[in-house]
Amino acid sequence: MSENRLLDRSSDAPVKRHMGLKASRTLANTSIYVLLVVISVVWLIPFICIVLQSFRVESTWQESYVIPKQWGLDNYRALFKTDFPRWYTNTFIAALFTAILQTIIVLCMSYTLSRFRFKMRKGLMRFMLILSMFPGMLTMIILYRVLSDLGLTQANALPGLILVYVASSGMGYYVSKGFFDTIPKSLDEAARVDGATRFQVLKKIILPLSKPIVIYTVLTAFMGPWGDFVFARYVSFGTSSGMNVAVGLYNWLNKDQIAKSYTMFCAGGVLVAIPVTVLFMCLQKYYVEGVTGGAVKG
Amino acid sequence: MKKFLSVLLAAMMVLSVCSFAGASSLAGTYDVTIWVANEIVDLTKQQVEAFNASNDAGIVINATIEPVSEADAATNMITDVAAGGDIYCFAQDQFSRLVQAGALAKLGKAAAEEVSAANDAGVVGAAKSGDELYAYPMTADNGYFMYYDKRYIPDEDVDSLEKLIADCEAAQKYFAFEMNTSAWYAASFFFGTGCVSEWKTDDAGKFISVHDTFNSPAGLIAAKGMKKLVDSPFHLNSSSQDSFASNAAIVVTGTWAYTDIEKMLGENMGVTDLPSFEVDGQQYHLGSFNGCKLMGVKPQEDAVKAAALHRLARYLTGEECQMQRFEARAWGPANLAAQQSEKVQANPGLAALYKQSPYSLPQGQIHGSWWDIAKVIADDVKAATDEAGLQQALQNYEDKMAALFTMSEEEMNAWGVIGSIGGTMWDKDFPMTEVATDVFESEALELHAGEEFKCRQGASWDVNYGSDGLNGANVKVEADGTYKVQLNVAEGTITLIAQ
Amino acid sequence: MTQYSDLEFLKLSKWQKAGYKCARFFTGIPTALLNLLKRIWGGIKGAGLAVKNEAADIWSTFVNGDWKTKLSFLVMGFGNLARGQILRGLLFLLFEVVFIGYMVLAGGYWLSMLPSLGKVGPTETYDEVLDIYTTTYNDNSFKILLYGVLTMFFIIAFIYTWRQNVKQNKLAEKILASGKPLKSGKDDLKSLVDDQFHKTLLALPMTGILVFTVLPIVFMILVAFTNYDGTHNGYSNNLFTWVGLDNFNTMLNWNVKSGGGTQSYAATFGEVLTWTLIWAFFATFTNYFLGMFVAMAINKKGIKFKKVWRTVLVLTIAIPQFISLLYVSKMFAKNGILNGFLMSMGWIQQALPFWDDPTWARITVILINVWIGIPYLMLVATGILMNIPADLYESARIDGANPWQQYTKITLPYMLFVTGPYLLTSFTGNMNNFNVIYLLTGGAPTNPAASGAAGAVGYTDLLITWLFKITTGAESQYYLASVVGILVFVVVALISLIVYNLLPSIKNEEDFQ
Repeated sequence: MSENRLLDRSSDAPVKRHMGLKASRTLANTSIYVLLVVISVVWLIPFICIVLQSFRVESTWQESYVIPKQWGLDNYRALFKTDFPRWYTNTFIAALFTAILQTIIVLCMSYTLSRFRFKMRKGLMRFMLILSMFPGMLTMIILYRVLSDLGLTQANALPGLILVYVASSGMGYYVSKGFFDTIPKSLDEAARVDGATRFQVLKKIILPLSKPIVIYTVLTAFMGPWGDFVFARYVSFGTSSGMNVAVGLYNWLNKDQIAKSYTMFCAGGVLVAIPVTVLFMCLQKYYVEGVTGGAVKG
Repeated sequence: MKKFLSVLLAAMMVLSVCSFAGASSLAGTYDVTIWVANEIVDLTKQQVEAFNASNDAGIVINATIEPVSEADAATNMITDVAAGGDIYCFAQDQFSRLVQAGALAKLGKAAAEEVSAANDAGVVGAAKSGDELYAYPMTADNGYFMYYDKRYIPDEDVDSLEKLIADCEAAQKYFAFEMNTSAWYAASFFFGTGCVSEWKTDDAGKFISVHDTFNSPAGLIAAKGMKKLVDSPFHLNSSSQDSFASNAAIVVTGTWAYTDIEKMLGENMGVTDLPSFEVDGQQYHLGSFNGCKLMGVKPQEDAVKAAALHRLARYLTGEECQMQRFEARAWGPANLAAQQSEKVQANPGLAALYKQSPYSLPQGQIHGSWWDIAKVIADDVKAATDEAGLQQALQNYEDKMAALFTMSEEEMNAWGVIGSIGGTMWDKDFPMTEVATDVFESEALELHAGEEFKCRQGASWDVNYGSDGLNGANVKVEADGTYKVQLNVAEGTITLIAQ
Repeated sequence: MTQYSDLEFLKLSKWQKAGYKCARFFTGIPTALLNLLKRIWGGIKGAGLAVKNEAADIWSTFVNGDWKTKLSFLVMGFGNLARGQILRGLLFLLFEVVFIGYMVLAGGYWLSMLPSLGKVGPTETYDEVLDIYTTTYNDNSFKILLYGVLTMFFIIAFIYTWRQNVKQNKLAEKILASGKPLKSGKDDLKSLVDDQFHKTLLALPMTGILVFTVLPIVFMILVAFTNYDGTHNGYSNNLFTWVGLDNFNTMLNWNVKSGGGTQSYAATFGEVLTWTLIWAFFATFTNYFLGMFVAMAINKKGIKFKKVWRTVLVLTIAIPQFISLLYVSKMFAKNGILNGFLMSMGWIQQALPFWDDPTWARITVILINVWIGIPYLMLVATGILMNIPADLYESARIDGANPWQQYTKITLPYMLFVTGPYLLTSFTGNMNNFNVIYLLTGGAPTNPAASGAAGAVGYTDLLITWLFKITTGAESQYYLASVVGILVFVVVALISLIVYNLLPSIKNEEDFQ
């Protein structure tokens, strides 16, 4: 594929041939293969273990062995007798809305900061840089109280969570702004000369060119809510129906529950990982383009 | 603005009076959130239904029952009391935090007497701050003892810590006893040699004093015993029952783990009290905490709802419900009548707990920071290389304890006004500044007629002034107004200066 | 130190060059700090001047304006309405009405309570008939502080809008005097998708940031000056009040012993900060170099299944950390799978103390972080390596450079140049890397000397996990957490500023376009 051909340029193309070059290259490649296999094994072990344990039937607690003695879907079945489907739906909805709304907000922000030159622009960027240096952990208490005054906690935690995820997402304009910066400005200017409004420029010219960054933003936004166990726990405390998967599963690791629900935790983990992984696998290419197009340049 | 508010306030008062007028009857439907441990959610549902059917006041409880771990209840309640459960269960170590956070409603005077009489005295003590009863006893089984795997531990060795350690090392199996991360378990060695840590709280849940003897010759013996355990390469710092599934032969934990461990070990399960350890030729039986779980009611603004909630809580912690919990989950009851039942006496987990009980101390109110301070003793003990090191570990502990109640020189000399003023209940010192030699003055305070206060030094009652000088009676405010409180130490007089 | 000119510098040996650069970096720090202070002072002076100019302009607008303008000072938008700009006028008027209404109904109350944060806390009454205690909640310190701050924001917004209103009048007069027509409401709307499009685009994101980031941060900073904690939470029990700088004194004074610790909070803070910096350094650079290395290995010519290798690594990004990290943490436990395996193979006699020994635990978290971090770096590095012009390598090879030389002379400098800012953000990001530490160790093993310091500080605790422990700890000392939060900000800001001022790369964003 084209991507790989591009990559190959960076490696040693044959220029100077001399004795033993081929042998030494084979040796180098072999050692790299060995290394890559070792890395792959190390990287995969935890996941394989989690998947294997989720199929274990004979016991529900942690065991010192990995391969189940008795295979079955008991843990998955048990999951559906708990509130897990509710948590899963909550998280999925949160992820979906966050993905859409956050993308809109981030793109608005980054496009503006990349393309427009207005009076407060530098100040605004500096201001947001300073804001991002405060540890967000601390603002949880107050965000909780704000949400609770709006009636968006406990059973109504879902809209509250989406609101918080989306509201501050403008601060994450950095990567996509970097991407927009790489699209030549001459394109906009040509269109402006032809009488297009700013809005038309965005719609007709910039957006079609920005597929990788749009997908990158959607992907990262979608992944966020699946792993949030700190703030979501805060907002939905004491109300099972308002929890997301991370909070629900995390509670199963409490001392008084772990022996009964550990394999269920693994099964839940597998189910959580599936949508994110599938999406990630399909869109990996854009993710790479997004990261390298944006993250790299500041 | 002020007018608008006062109109609103008046309207609210009228409303509340109206609702009070109808208060003689508790009949009605109440939406109630109840927090209980995951494993008794279904049982609690049935119990609430039984309450609805049986109560004679016409109370119908429409309950939402949420699984919330008893260990997390305080953290959750303190996050936001308003959104917390109306009735909730918690482990007793969180009691004083909850009282101080205003998350527990006092029991009525008559109710308090009846509940106290019906339940185990140790548990009732755990639900009291000062003289006030703040919660309903639910279980009396929050202690720990020893589970072991008979395949690796011969029954005749279970009385000796040294033999148990040797057995574990020989079998390459772990001895799980949570020493390094939980003072609750680590205190076991110290209680075994007769050390104590007793705390006192006032009526509002504030800690006022401690009597602690960990740093003593007896404490040193305890530290030596502890060192034997933590120095073993097969000591595992855990109290989790599933340690049995990952190479442990002994786990020290409580009744809640009984059903799980039974499943894990089957007929290989052994249950007994804690062992003894030997120092200088003498045997010391390991002690333990004897704790409990409590059920609390959140403070309510509406007296009728409060009454209905308290009725429900009393029902849920009555003899019948405690027995049901015992039958379903083997939770040891706190109710005296239930404790006497044959079934309870025959349960092996509880039998081990009762066997341990001569060596256990009732867990009273303990300062939140103590858990953090005492849990590192084991780390210090492990790091110590000789007896002086062990002594130092205990000294470190004592220094930290001392720091809990000590104040800086400046704080010791600072004067303050304290009383039933500004919405405080004798729990806050309003600072005073020195305006002339021996004359101290507070900020302008809004005082109301009938409020009382005194002036004291260093936030302690050792030196205090009242209306008639040193150690005098409370000063009474005669008329509403904004005043500065002025204290003349030389003359021993307190004057109110209207602003 | 001696300063070298460019020519002299080129003559130095490789090591001398490195040493020189290093020394320059550190000797540059005081100057950078000084420059920073100068700039802040300059900013303050500039702001003062700006206020003066604004005031003068407002005055001259009033004195020189016609009666419509003068009335607009009182009734916002009157000038616009009178001159036919109905839409703008109505919006101004509406804002004024809403503002005044809010201030009368609620804002005034919150503002008046702000200095005291409430006077009457909850009170308890006993009901003889029902044998029941009830609680009446009166003032609520938390709400007072929150809505007080919100009201201040609103006032600032009002002043700004009022100023705009004055400005517009002046402008309108000027335009009318020159004989041109004023913009109509339709023109205004149109410009929102054209000249003023940026305002449309920014409106929503900025509102979100204002309410959900700025407001909480301002609130949090203010909490550092109160005694807000578990026993003074202001709504269900005692009110909290302002305590001035007491909390900073507690945290930073070497003589104040912490709650039940044998050392001061300042010492504990110093220890945690040191480890945080060490952690951030290793976490950033191990990932950086190893990730780059893996990327180069995968992208090497002749290596097959590139997609497979990459996919395997990327799995760690796709699977939520709370699942994978919790599992890994259990694997490394004393009785975990890893120790069990090593012992059953007979390679070790006793379990390795991955989480029980401070040094082991610190090294283990760094190693496991590599497992988490390499995939990201691999992706980033892959992209950058693609962009290095191939002819650079070819000419290097013609000159006889070996792969190592190619790496140090071409790849590394290029990477470092391009990823300078990325390195900085990932350094500060790692300082606040809550997930890895919290899920792997929870800060353990405990540091005995600091055990009482609000939530039992451990050897692997970062400032951010300590902060979390303080808020959820036995005493919920939110005020202390706020102080730590502010200090974290100061540290991060200082590091960022120093590095930005010293790194030559990519200061000018326009360079890239």
